[in-house]
Amino acid sequence: MKRKVLSIILSSVMAAGLLAGCGSSSSADGGSAAGASGGTVAEDGTYELTTLNIIVDGTVTATVDAGQAEFVAQWEKAVSEKLGHDIKLNITQLDHSDYSGTVSRTLTTGKPGDSGYPDALIMSATMLRQYQNTGLLWDLSKAYDNAEFQSRLTLPNVNLNMRTSDGKQYGFAPTYGNGCVTYIKQGWLDAVGKKVEDIKTFDDYYALLKAFTENDPDGNGSAGTYGVIAAGFGKQDEAPYINYMPEFWQGAYPSFYQKEDGTWVDGFTEQATIDALARLNQAYKDGLIDPDTEEAGTKQAREKFFSNDQTTSEGVFTYWAGTWLRTLTDNLTKNEVKTPSGDPESLVQLPPIKEIKDTWGGYLNREAPVWVITDDGDGSDAREQAIFDALFDTMLDGDVVQTLWTYGAEDVHWSTKAEEFVLNPGTDTEKAYSYADGEFHLKQSPNDPNSLWKKNHLDAVLVIAPLTNGYVADDELITEGNTFFTENCVDAPAAASCDTLSEAEADIVNLRTQLMNQAVVGEITPEEAIQQYKDQMGSTSDTIVEELNAQSAAE
Amino acid sequence: MSKKETTAPVVHKKPLGLRLHEYRGFYLMFLPVFIFVLIIYYWPMLGVRYSFYSYKLRDIHFIGLGNFVKLFGEKEFWSSFKNTLVISIVKLLLNTFVAVLIAIFLNEMRSLLAKKFVQTVIYLPHFMSYAVVAAIFTLFLSTSSTGFVNETLKSMGIIKESIDFLHSKTLWRPIFYLINLWKETGWGTVIFFATLSGINTELYEAGDIDGATRLQKIRYITLPALSNTIIVVLILNLAKVLNIFEPVFVLYNSRVLEVSDVISTYIYRKTFLTAIPDYGYTTAVGLFKSLVGCILMIGSDIASKKIRGRGII
Amino acid sequence: MGRKRKITLFDIINYIVFAILSLIIIIPIWKVVVDSFNAVGVYKFQLWPSDPTLAGYQTIIHTAKLARPFINSVVTTIVGTLIGLIMATLGGYVLCQNDMPGRSIFSYYLLFTMIFSGGMIPEYLVMKQLGLVDNMWILVVKHGMNVYNLVLMKNFFEGIPISLYEAAELDGCSPMKIFTSVVLPLSKAALASVGLMFAVTIWNDYSTVQIYITNPTQVNFQYQLRVMIMDGDTPTTAYKVSQNTLYYASIVCAILPFMVAYPFLQKYFVTGVNAGAVKE
Repeated sequence: MKRKVLSIILSSVMAAGLLAGCGSSSSADGGSAAGASGGTVAEDGTYELTTLNIIVDGTVTATVDAGQAEFVAQWEKAVSEKLGHDIKLNITQLDHSDYSGTVSRTLTTGKPGDSGYPDALIMSATMLRQYQNTGLLWDLSKAYDNAEFQSRLTLPNVNLNMRTSDGKQYGFAPTYGNGCVTYIKQGWLDAVGKKVEDIKTFDDYYALLKAFTENDPDGNGSAGTYGVIAAGFGKQDEAPYINYMPEFWQGAYPSFYQKEDGTWVDGFTEQATIDALARLNQAYKDGLIDPDTEEAGTKQAREKFFSNDQTTSEGVFTYWAGTWLRTLTDNLTKNEVKTPSGDPESLVQLPPIKEIKDTWGGYLNREAPVWVITDDGDGSDAREQAIFDALFDTMLDGDVVQTLWTYGAEDVHWSTKAEEFVLNPGTDTEKAYSYADGEFHLKQSPNDPNSLWKKNHLDAVLVIAPLTNGYVADDELITEGNTFFTENCVDAPAAASCDTLSEAEADIVNLRTQLMNQAVVGEITPEEAIQQYKDQMGSTSDTIVEELNAQSAAE
Repeated sequence: MSKKETTAPVVHKKPLGLRLHEYRGFYLMFLPVFIFVLIIYYWPMLGVRYSFYSYKLRDIHFIGLGNFVKLFGEKEFWSSFKNTLVISIVKLLLNTFVAVLIAIFLNEMRSLLAKKFVQTVIYLPHFMSYAVVAAIFTLFLSTSSTGFVNETLKSMGIIKESIDFLHSKTLWRPIFYLINLWKETGWGTVIFFATLSGINTELYEAGDIDGATRLQKIRYITLPALSNTIIVVLILNLAKVLNIFEPVFVLYNSRVLEVSDVISTYIYRKTFLTAIPDYGYTTAVGLFKSLVGCILMIGSDIASKKIRGRGII
Repeated sequence: MGRKRKITLFDIINYIVFAILSLIIIIPIWKVVVDSFNAVGVYKFQLWPSDPTLAGYQTIIHTAKLARPFINSVVTTIVGTLIGLIMATLGGYVLCQNDMPGRSIFSYYLLFTMIFSGGMIPEYLVMKQLGLVDNMWILVVKHGMNVYNLVLMKNFFEGIPISLYEAAELDGCSPMKIFTSVVLPLSKAALASVGLMFAVTIWNDYSTVQIYITNPTQVNFQYQLRVMIMDGDTPTTAYKVSQNTLYYASIVCAILPFMVAYPFLQKYFVTGVNAGAVKE
C-alpha cells in the first residue's frame, strides 16, 4: 500500500513539476527567459524601474562566452548608483541570421510585463520603418531632446534625420551607420605585380580578380584560388543591398529607392540591375568569384577570407570599415596566413572605383541601426521615460557606462592596471604587449587569448557623443580604416516602408535572391530574371511603388 | 482483470461503482498522462481559431474565411502542396521498394554471420539525425575543393566542372531521394525481416522437393508472404505524407524552392522568416494541412481494416 | 535444414551486391571519422588520417559554444527519456485495464492527438505561455509524452502471459502491486526498447530547437552543428583548427552516443520497431 501511494504521488508530482518547473528553471541558468520586467511607482509618483529586459544582436560583442556576465554586473552597479536604486539588466542575445524574425515573434506573442518581453531592443533601419507605425514602439523624441547627453552631441543629425514628418522619433541611434570598403590582400597584389593605386576602374578591378584567380598569388596552385568572396552576390535582406559587391553593382540598387526627383522606383527592374547581374555572371563564369559566395553568410564569408585553409583562398573581400580592418588583419595573423614571400599577410583598402564614384559618389554609409523602446500603451510615459533614462541616457554618459558599452567590462575586456601579455606565443607572429599602471588598454579577448579585444557595442569613432574620460584604444589600423571610410563614403538611400511591402517583403526578397542567384550562375539570363520577377511580382511591386509615392506626396 | 474478460458476457462484470472504486488508483496513475496530453496536444487545438483571424503583431481581428480565400488563391501554396505529395510519395515508394529488395535478398544469404553484419551496417544511418545526415552530404556534395563527390568524379575524369548538386532544380529531388534511401532504407527492412522469419520453412523445403529455383522460390513463396506487410507499411505511411518537414528542411535552399518547398516548410517560412508575419494566415495553412492529414489518416484506417482486419489507430 | 548446398552464381552475386551496399553505408561514415582526425581538409577517401590531430575534439571540449550545446543535449536526452518512460509506462498500463470504466474514453482521448493537431503556430503560442520558448526543456516537454510509444508499452504489457496476472491476483496482490512486482520486472526489455526510442528522438531533434530556441545558451548539439556547418557560423576559439576538421569532429560527436551503444543494444532497437509495426 505504501508503495502504491508513493508511486502515485511520484508520478503526479513528476508531471506537475515538469510543467511548472521547466518554466521557472530557465531564469536561473542565465537569462534565457528573463524575469518579468518591471518597476514600481514610488510614493512620490515617480516610476522606479527595477528590471530592464533588452534584446540585442551580435553587435554587443561581449557575448555570454566573452564576458557578458561581468559587463552586466558592472552596468548594474554603475547604473544603480546613477539612478539611486537597484536595477537589474537582462540581456537576450539572438542569432544574427534570423534576428528580425525572432524579434517579430517575441513582440507578437508577448506584451509588456511578460517575462522575456523586451523593454528596449536593437533594430535595423529597415525594421524600424516596419515597426514605427504599429504602435508597439514609443515615440522618444521628447526624451531625446531632453537627454543629458545633448550637450555632448557631435553628430546630432543621425537621430534628427530619423524623425517622421510629424516630428516623432521611434529609434535612437547611438552611432552612425558605417559601411563597407573593399579590402585586398597586399601579398597577393605584390605577387601579381599590381598596385592598389592603379586600380581605378571596373576593368582594372576585373583584371585584378582575373590575375588573382589565374596567377596563383598564394603559391599553392590555382585550384581553389579565387579573386573575390562575399556574403551573397547581393544581399536582399540587408540594406544597402549592394554592400558586399559594390564594384559589380556600381550604380544599381536592386530594391525600392527614392530617385533624386523624389519618386520611388523598384530598382530591381531597372537596366542598371540587369547590367550588374551580367557583370556578376561574367565573373562567375570566369571563375573569379568563390562559388561559396552564393550561400555564404557574412560570418562564413569572412572566415573563408582569413582562413589558412589550403583548399580555398580569395584575394578581395568587401566588408565593414574601421574596426573590421583591425579584426580581419588580426585574424589573418592569428591563422598564420602568409604572403608567398613568407611575411604575415596584410590588407590594403581599395578607394571606390570610378564607376562607384560616378554614380553614388563613394562607398555607401548605411542607415544607422537603432535602439527602440517598447510602448506599454497605458497612456503614461513613466515606464518608457524610465527605460530611456536607465539605458540610453547612461549609454552616452561620456564616462563609466559609455565605457562599458564601448570597450566592455573593466579588467575583463580592458584595464588600466599594469599588465603584460603575449599573443600567439611560440609562433612567428608572436606579439608582446606591456602596459604601465594607469595606462588604458584593451586586454586579450576572453574567448580567444590570441587576439586583442576590440570593442563592445559602440564604436568609439562612430559614436554621436564621444567619451570624455580620455579612454582611447589607440589603434592605428582602426583609425586608418575609419578615416579612409569617412573620406570615401556617401549616405545610402533611405529604406522603403509601406504596408504592402511589409507584407510581401519576405516573398520579394526570396524571389529576387533566387532569380539573382540563377542569373549569376548562368541558369537564366539577367533579362530573363527581371522578366520572371515582373511576371510574378510585378503587380505587387507596382502597388508598393504607388503606396510609397502616395506616402511621400503626403509628407 | 485482463483482456480475457472483454470477450466474457457483460453480466459477469462487477457493478460500475465497485469497479470505479477498484480502479481508483489507476485514475490517479493516468492523471499525469491526462494533464500532459491536455496541455501539449489539446490546448494548442484551441489556437486553430486564429485561422479565422488576421493576426499581425498584436493586432488580432476576425476576418471569417479570408485566410482560406487567400490560401486557395496562392500559387506558392499549391506548389508546396503538390511538392509535398510528390516528394513524400516517391520517397515512400522508393524506400519501401528498395527495403523489400534488400530484405528478400539478404534473407537468401547463407552465412548467418554475414547476414548479421550487413543488417548491423545498414541499420546504422537511421540513428543519425537528419541534421547530421544533411551536414555530411552537404559537405560531400559541395563544390569546394574538399567536396568528396565532385572532386572524386573529376579526378576519375567523369565530369569536368563541379556540379552544384543541391542547388540544381533538376538534381535536387534525385539527390534528396538518394540521401533518404541511404538513411532510412536499411531500417525499413526491419519489419520485413520480422515477417520473413515467420515464414514456415516447410514451404521452402516443399519448393526444394518440387525442384524450384531460388528465384522461383522468392517469386512464389517469399514475395506473397511479404505482400501484406508491404501494403501495411504503405498504408501506415500514406497517412503521414503531409507531415514531412525535417528531411526537406535540412536540405532545401532558396534556389530550389520551386521543387522542394513542402507545406510545412511553407508554413515555417511564412511564420518565422517573414518580417511581420500574419499568424492567422499560417495557422489557416496549418489547419488545412491538419484536416487533409486527418482525412488521409481515417482513409488509411478504413483501408487497413479492410485489408488486415484491424485499423491503424 | 542442415543440408549443405553448393555455392551458386546467385550466392556470389548476392555477396558482391551486399558487400557494395555495406560499403555505400560505411564509406561516408568512415570518411567522416577519418577526416575528423585529419589536420588538413582533403577530398579523397583515406583509410587513415594522413596528418593526424586531435585539435577538432579539443576545440569542441574547450569552446563553450560547442561544449555547452553538447551538455544540453546530454541532459535533455536523459531527463526526457526518463519522463517519457514514466508517462508511457503509466499510460500504457492503464490502457491495459480492459475492465476499467472509462478506459476506451482514455484511448480515444490519446488517439485523437495522433490524427489531429493544432499546428505549428498554435503550438508555438502555447509553448510561449508555458515559458518554454528559448528554453532547452522544451525538448523534454515536446517528447516526454509520445502516444505512439505509450501504445507500444501497452502492447508489451499485453504480451505478458495472463496466467502471471492471475497467479498474482490469487496471491492477493492489488493491481498496483502487480504493476510494481510483476509487470515492471518483466518489462525490462520493453523499457529498454522504448527508452531507446525516446533517447534517439530527443538526441536527434533539430527542428524543435530551430523553431523554439534562439538563445545560444539553450540550443542543443544538433542545432549548433547545423548552424556551424550550414550557416558557416564557426565559433571563435583559441584553437588553431581547420574548418573541415572541426566540422567532421562535430559530426562524430553528434552521432557518437548511438554509434557506440548501437552494436550492444541493436536487439532492443529492433524489438521496438517490430512490436510497433507488426503487432501494434
